Amino acid sequence: MKIRKKGKGEPEIPNASMSDVAFLLLIFFLVTTIFNVEKGLDIVLPNLGTSPKRIAKQNLCEIKIAASGRVTVDGVETAVRGLEDVIRRRLIENDKTICVIETHPASYYGIMVDVLDELKLAEATKITLRTGGGG
Amino acid sequence: MARKEKFKRGAKGFSKVPTSSMADIAFLLLVFFMTTTIFRMEDGLPVELPKAAATKQFPREKLAHIWVDARGQISINDKLVDVRSIQSLILRRLQLNPALVVAFNADKKVSYKIMSDVMEELKQVNATKVSFNADYEPRR
Repeated sequence: MKIRKKGKGEPEIPNASMSDVAFLLLIFFLVTTIFNVEKGLDIVLPNLGTSPKRIAKQNLCEIKIAASGRVTVDGVETAVRGLEDVIRRRLIENDKTICVIETHPASYYGIMVDVLDELKLAEATKITLRTGGGG
Repeated sequence: MARKEKFKRGAKGFSKVPTSSMADIAFLLLVFFMTTTIFRMEDGLPVELPKAAATKQFPREKLAHIWVDARGQISINDKLVDVRSIQSLILRRLQLNPALVVAFNADKKVSYKIMSDVMEELKQVNATKVSFNADYEPRR
């Protein structure tokens, strides 16, 4: 007798919290969506029409990346991390400084990007890429 | 006086905001955002990008991607291509959009020779605006 079925009252699914659940999902997806933002270091290559210009020696800052990955600034070996300060100092001394990154073809691309990053951090604007060695 | 009686505040029956359609609205928004989200079209090649701090962001519609993996394979539009066919592919994109920026998604372990060759090809078609894509890693 005790477990008799109830006669009155239709069973109901509580739908008051449904919107809460839906909004929760919405916010979850909004927050966890990672947009593919691409970031890069930009540089303008010389085009075909540009004839090579003579650059005065005192305005030139030659950064060489050897095949072994060693980086030299005008012949002086420098750590990649320390390049920013070196270049910044050069730019204070002479704001017409043109930085040339000469990379050995057997070297890694990643090192060149590291060096370029340092130059960008030092706010150098005149940057040229060159392939050194046998290239 | 009888008229005034009509505007008396109702004693019984609370006013309710209809909440039954709220879930529908929320789901509609959910579905809308799910369907309108555009994912990256190109898969490219698996690369380990170099890390950099001084990176800049470019509008997506300006970019043309060139993927170079550690073994030196080059991919454009999800097709493996030869160095010599870069010229024609990029030229076509450049004609559609003269402000094109060529973005390199190159592995940091790739030999500089390959990158130098690719850049030489770009110079030939006057695609001079280049970006070396990198993972942003703030300094200090």
